[in-house]
Amino acid sequence: MSVLPWVVAAWLFGVGVYGIATSRNYIHLIGCLSVCQSATYVLLLGIGYDWGAGPPIFYDHPPGTPAVDPIVQALVLTDIVVGATVSALLLAMALQVHKREGTLDPQEIKPLKGQ
Amino acid sequence: MTLLDVLVPFPVVLPLAVGAIVLALGERLPKHAPEALGIAAALAVAGLSAVLSRGALDAGTPVYWFGGWEPRPGVTLGIAFAPDPASAGIAAFIGLLFAAALVFAWGFFDEVRSTFNVLMLLFLAAMQGFCLTRDLFNLFVWFEVMSVAAYALTGFSLKRASLAGALNFTVVNSLGSMLMLAGIGLVYARAGALDFEAVREAVGRAGHDPVIVGGFCLVSVALLTKAAILPFQFWLADAHAVAPSPVSVIFSGSMVPIGLFGFAKIAVQVFPGSPDAGSILHGLLFGVGCATAVVGGLLAWSQRHLKRLLAFSTIGHIGIMLTGVAALSPVGLAGALAYLVGHGLVKGTLFMLVGVLLAEKAGVDELNLRGLGRDIWPAGVLTGLAALLLGGAPLGLLHGGADLVSAAAPDGLAGWAMHLSVLVGTALTGGAVLRFAGRVYLGLGPDPGDEAEAPTDEEQEKADRPLWLMLAPCILLLGIDVLVPADLAEHMAARVLPQFAHLAAGSVAVPPPTGWTAVEPWLALLGAVAVAGVALFRDRVPRILPAAGGMFKPVVAGLNRLHTGVINDYVVWMALGVAMFAAWATF
Repeated sequence: MSVLPWVVAAWLFGVGVYGIATSRNYIHLIGCLSVCQSATYVLLLGIGYDWGAGPPIFYDHPPGTPAVDPIVQALVLTDIVVGATVSALLLAMALQVHKREGTLDPQEIKPLKGQ
Repeated sequence: MTLLDVLVPFPVVLPLAVGAIVLALGERLPKHAPEALGIAAALAVAGLSAVLSRGALDAGTPVYWFGGWEPRPGVTLGIAFAPDPASAGIAAFIGLLFAAALVFAWGFFDEVRSTFNVLMLLFLAAMQGFCLTRDLFNLFVWFEVMSVAAYALTGFSLKRASLAGALNFTVVNSLGSMLMLAGIGLVYARAGALDFEAVREAVGRAGHDPVIVGGFCLVSVALLTKAAILPFQFWLADAHAVAPSPVSVIFSGSMVPIGLFGFAKIAVQVFPGSPDAGSILHGLLFGVGCATAVVGGLLAWSQRHLKRLLAFSTIGHIGIMLTGVAALSPVGLAGALAYLVGHGLVKGTLFMLVGVLLAEKAGVDELNLRGLGRDIWPAGVLTGLAALLLGGAPLGLLHGGADLVSAAAPDGLAGWAMHLSVLVGTALTGGAVLRFAGRVYLGLGPDPGDEAEAPTDEEQEKADRPLWLMLAPCILLLGIDVLVPADLAEHMAARVLPQFAHLAAGSVAVPPPTGWTAVEPWLALLGAVAVAGVALFRDRVPRILPAAGGMFKPVVAGLNRLHTGVINDYVVWMALGVAMFAAWATF
């Protein structure tokens, strides 16, 4: 496996965290969180990848044909489901905050008055 | 397959099934049926897990392979649950805590009753799975399910403050989960398996491997974020302060501590063969644990918002548990397990008692509530007792855990640093709770006058619930903590530990009491009473004492200012924490 997926994953995670740390809008911030999440998917798929191997489907291939690792793909699929739940929940909460406060700026949405 | 083996998945299956039924029938159920079903399910789960724990202790840890996918030589594809006595015991305690919290929440939500109960059941099922599994990815899935249920429960009331707290909680913990998944990927890249046993063998073969260390660090960061260890703790006070009281009970009593439990589990069951992981645990995390204990104590002492006070005290106590785990001795680990249960019982009770104040007096601000609690004095008696237990009173389960943790302190300077930070953390948190009990229920302390403007929103939780129904679960939990003798707790912890940490049966012995272990709890208790006394009788004690307390004011004010409530800052702190791990692992 080449070093490229590792670099891409680290880069994606880095820009995602930078985005979250500097964001002034919660919808934008949730987008940045999804970028971080994509970094883990790139890393996992990179780990399971094999040059020259086919997809892990043996319907029309004899067993034993080289294939990429299906386990990491299953992990990624599972996490996409979880990630969608978290994003939906975050967006719903951001909408509710906007209804009550009229703002989406994280610096104005604080749990304690005067914090 | 014995009966015990068949029972293994049911602590997870049962609450999920009951939750699904409650959700499907929804409003067609009679008024209090969802609550009653939830309590029954939680009690059944507690019973099942207790049976599993007992059975595993007698007959060895059962291993349940889902779908019969047992490992073949060299290939482990299946996912297994392995309820060792310690894990199943913690799971049983969680079931009991849920039952108590659900009894406390009886009548709390009128309109949306079934949704709340369904979320709680999902939360319970996820925690059971988290405790019982022995597969890394399965651990991650339960961790995520637990998190999602917790996010939704935090923001449940949809008020301004609770939404803000839930957003902070969700973003920080989701980032942690992503790091965990990446870490699991790294471990899988080397081990080619996800089962704890298979990974442990691979880790042992790998020796000094940067990929394995990277995986350990990332998984640890996620679990320590959940456990609110410095510098990943910022989300905790925000979330605990705004969640409904019954949910805060679960957060402080079980969710946060089992983050640390999960960390201890992977440290002893997956990574014992990695010398680098050992160095991080014994070096970096030992220091971080001491710092967390002190900082949590100082922050708790400086709060007037009672839920934030308890939230910060949880951080301090988790720090103490981490020192027990990081002391790398079986005795310390056994101590941390007993401490987890004892702390959960006491802290769960305290959050319920603050919930009583929210329901009866519509307030959560210590100064505003001064003297208002006189007519609900039974709650005051319980708060005082819980404060003494938290402050180190040599009595009951919590003391047993503290005693073992203290006995595990290493020799030399590091050991004294640990003793000192545990003492400071215990005395400050116990003293802070004692101060609040004295002020609210006895009306002690100076009249705040015009300063009383509270920094909190108007808060109230559903009133008109019978007081005895709210106090009954408090009495039950505190009663268990007090009535289990400390030495019994110590022997139980020492007995369940070998199967948890893969040691020879009977190899963990409770160390004989030393002069220091006899003195330490009294010192802590004296400290707690002094901390409370100085705050409440400011005018009557020698002036030097309040002045000495005042010396810490700038430090504490600085620490408080760091908790800005702004997610941008929290994520920067988290990145710094990851950098701290990376730096330690590299040099």
